[in-house]
Amino acid sequence: MNAGASFIWRGIGALFVVFLLSPLLLVVLFAFTSRAQSAFPIEALSLRWWREMAAEPEFLPALWNSLVISGTVGIVSAAVGTMAAMGLVRLAPRAARITSALLCVPLMTPPLVLGVSLLGLYAWAHVPMGRLTVVLSHLLFTMPFVVLVIYARLRNFDERVVESARDLGASPVRAFLTVTLPIIRPTVVGAALIAMALSLDDFIITFFTISGGVTLPTFVFGMIRTALTPAANAVGTLILAITIGATLAALWLTRYRD
Amino acid sequence: MQRQAVTLLLLGPAVVILGVLFVLPLGYFLVISFWRVVLFKLKPDATLANYNQVFELHLSTLIFTLELALVVSLLTTTLGFIFAYLIRFKAGRWGPALLFIAMITLFGGYLMKIYSWMTILGITGVLNTALLALGLVAEPLPWLFYNEGAVVVTLVNFLLPITILPIYAAMRGVTNVELEAARDLGAGVWRAFSDILVPRCQAGIAAGFALSFLLASGDYLTPQLVGGKVNMIGVQIAAQFGGIFNWPMGAAMSFVTLACSLGVVAAAMALLALWRPR
Repeated sequence: MNAGASFIWRGIGALFVVFLLSPLLLVVLFAFTSRAQSAFPIEALSLRWWREMAAEPEFLPALWNSLVISGTVGIVSAAVGTMAAMGLVRLAPRAARITSALLCVPLMTPPLVLGVSLLGLYAWAHVPMGRLTVVLSHLLFTMPFVVLVIYARLRNFDERVVESARDLGASPVRAFLTVTLPIIRPTVVGAALIAMALSLDDFIITFFTISGGVTLPTFVFGMIRTALTPAANAVGTLILAITIGATLAALWLTRYRD
Repeated sequence: MQRQAVTLLLLGPAVVILGVLFVLPLGYFLVISFWRVVLFKLKPDATLANYNQVFELHLSTLIFTLELALVVSLLTTTLGFIFAYLIRFKAGRWGPALLFIAMITLFGGYLMKIYSWMTILGITGVLNTALLALGLVAEPLPWLFYNEGAVVVTLVNFLLPITILPIYAAMRGVTNVELEAARDLGAGVWRAFSDILVPRCQAGIAAGFALSFLLASGDYLTPQLVGGKVNMIGVQIAAQFGGIFNWPMGAAMSFVTLACSLGVVAAAMALLALWRPR
């Protein structure tokens, strides 16, 4: 390849990186600047928007709800997803392909349709809406990711170590707890973190299924709708820090360790 | 026998979640799409009035939404293909870093990306203030914001990572040897692209296109926040569950939109399947 072509590819790469990252970087940048407007030039760095965010009466409930909901979703999704992935590896290849595709159908459905149809279901079945309904709804779109990640890991798993444990007299449960689980644990934790990140970031489905409550995304949505206050950047930075932090930990656990 | 029972037990909870939280609500929605609303209460019925109304009142919005989603998903698929190609064949040691950027922008910041484009494109936004400061324009450009272009840019921005990953996953299976062999046998750049790269990545391209088309056609926040008067079918669906309170209508609109979107995706996949090496 000649130098000119390589130069063009470098330019294209830089444009992609700027396009993908700049919206997120600007949110973080403006969370730390002093002006009452999210724009250049930057006059001074300041933490005033963080203080303003913390002073909002809805902030702490939103943070608490977000942590409780996404933590629960992470744990339940990982448990159910791990079971499903272990079921998938026991199926014939064709049946496994069809089942995993079926489990992923909710990902292909617009979140708006999922949100309003879940709202309809809860209203019809008289399920009081709140944190519980949000957790249930989030399982729907986080579980497919967990299943796919853990299924991919289990397919490269050496079954013989479990068989030898069984030959030595371990019960299936004991073989799982002492052999399988320790080996796949980083992947399971990584998948739980991805589920947590997706749950914490979700606005649309939460908005329709939480009734009166707030999470960080619905809280920041209120700020965006009413007035463009840079305090929204501070909340946004918080959301991004948690979701991207969880994603980074997940990538490290699932890819760079095994 | 026992083995099958264990397999079913393991898959059970996941299947129950899919059944109760996906199949059941959509089934209920399908039923109420034939109902009516009388005095803010759902009334069981067997009427096609809602579906008729979707076509009478919202047909132009629906068509516009599908067109816009098509523009968005053609852009994300093309850009996603270029980016995947860059990571796979051109970036060398920078490849993992670029892939990493696509992954971290995948899972986070849906709402914050839309919000950020509001601050970038707005009349007193980042882009306008920067252009003014640089003296490139005399006054802020109003046409950056509250129009179709802003909606397309925002949707492409958050759907691009979702499109890159399946295409890249497919492209990982194409080896340098295959492409070099083709080039050694005299194939030009275009020939290698059209006869090897695209056919080998067909599944990834189809998945990326389908995901971004379906999610774009069902989005409602982007037009609401950066689109101004831009009216997409999602905005109308969401309104049926807010102030208007007409769930049967909203349900009928959801199904018509889903059916039309799946129709477009199926047509696109059929077209893609026609792309074969000469």
